[in-house]
Amino acid sequence: MAAKKRKRKKRKDSLVLNLLIIVVLVLVVFEGRLIVTLFTHRSAETSTAVSDGAVSSQEDETVSEDPSSPSSDSSAGSSGGSSPVTALAGLPVTAGAPQGNASETDPPAQTEDTVSDPDSSAIVREAAEPVDDSYFSDAVFIGDSRMEGFRNASGITQGQFFTSVGMNLSTMASEPIISTAEGNITVPAAVSGGTYHKIYVMLGTNDLGEYDWEDFRSRFVSAMNRLLEIQPDAILYVCSVIYVEEDKVTTQNYGDYVNNANVDTVNSILLQICEEQGYYYIDFNEILSNGYGSLIQGASEDGIHIYGKYCEQMLDYLKNHYVVSDASASREEASETEAESEAETESETEQTA
Amino acid sequence: MKKKFMYLACAAAAAMMLTACGGGGKDVEIDMEALASDLLETVTSDSLSQTSSDMLSSIYFYDGDKVDEAVAYTSSGATSCEIAVVKSKDASDTSEIEKNFQTRVDNQAELYASYNAPEAERLENDAIIESAGAYTVLCVCDDPDAAEEVLEEYGF
Repeated sequence: MAAKKRKRKKRKDSLVLNLLIIVVLVLVVFEGRLIVTLFTHRSAETSTAVSDGAVSSQEDETVSEDPSSPSSDSSAGSSGGSSPVTALAGLPVTAGAPQGNASETDPPAQTEDTVSDPDSSAIVREAAEPVDDSYFSDAVFIGDSRMEGFRNASGITQGQFFTSVGMNLSTMASEPIISTAEGNITVPAAVSGGTYHKIYVMLGTNDLGEYDWEDFRSRFVSAMNRLLEIQPDAILYVCSVIYVEEDKVTTQNYGDYVNNANVDTVNSILLQICEEQGYYYIDFNEILSNGYGSLIQGASEDGIHIYGKYCEQMLDYLKNHYVVSDASASREEASETEAESEAETESETEQTA
Repeated sequence: MKKKFMYLACAAAAAMMLTACGGGGKDVEIDMEALASDLLETVTSDSLSQTSSDMLSSIYFYDGDKVDEAVAYTSSGATSCEIAVVKSKDASDTSEIEKNFQTRVDNQAELYASYNAPEAERLENDAIIESAGAYTVLCVCDDPDAAEEVLEEYGF
């Protein structure tokens, strides 16, 4: 009898051991993937800093946003305190969380900011209520092939699109790149053909090889000013450059300069411009980043151009991120602030002298 | 000899009838969604998405008042591939739609020339624009021969 009891206990021990082995195996399989992912994305985390703000923001793994930080006119209807990782209503997966190939069993990954200054007043925050397509009835969308893809695949039903494959700051300013029934015309000529109260601009992907970023900055401001001369009452939304899938981009021969470090650089400049000029910054990477400074894996065929499913999410994002303000007043305010800070700097310099 | 001549005459008449069917003037009914879907099979280098019909008149420059229905699958932006099927209210307007499609192709070829030369070549050499009855098709794809076969099946 005693021998029987001993035997039963032994079997119980081996059962516990087997269960432990299974648990360890499961942990190795699933957590191991997380460790590998963390290492492979470490380079992206460290290579994106271009300004002090950028550096500090990338060091922060989690950011709590101050609901009062957005300027009063930049976040009308904002739910307040919406963080970059807030899920949009009706969207399956959103901000910063790895998507695409990520399976349901993947552990929740850590996220990083998709903007150099998460507290920037220029960032358009999530509104309390989404708008419908009629909001875009007086909007004009200007941009490159990625904006064209958005028009084609998002399901948007209203708005005027002036897009062109390969559009960059230079071609946008003066070359006939907008297709019309009468042939190709320039962007300013196309924008002059109507009255628009919202301008969405998606540029920068074809300028990633620019590297003279100061020149990029001044040319971008000049191009936007030209648009606002034509449509002075319009709200100007500047869309972030969407991240790329670098492994696909290199195989498709788009050039080494099309990488996420440059995307971060350009975006940090665009955000600064928006702050200084009173434009509004639309951070599409909030929903299109994999959480490690890259486009969601599997979101594009060639690493750059986004699949329809994600374009639909971009449209939802726009419907949830908008401002209802006097755009020209906002720009005047920004220009006054800039003038004041310049005057302060001058007086400080004089005092020092 | 007489019999041979009769056979030849019958064949010629049949051929003429078939040719007439392929023209823009005849009365045909086409399942536009099915045609577009079949043509979609000829695109392998890009993932095309169905574009909102509200956007199509501005993309293809046609007069919306003259169009009964339109279906289009357009590119992610990666290639020049696209498929558009337009049904005119009046079959006599198909030539105008063909012109609109040609303008679209010419403009796109010009834009792609400095951006992605192979796509410009594809547009210049392989873009298909055809009409049958009140329907007009634009197809820019990876396998134009297969696309032609599909169109033939639908009576183009």
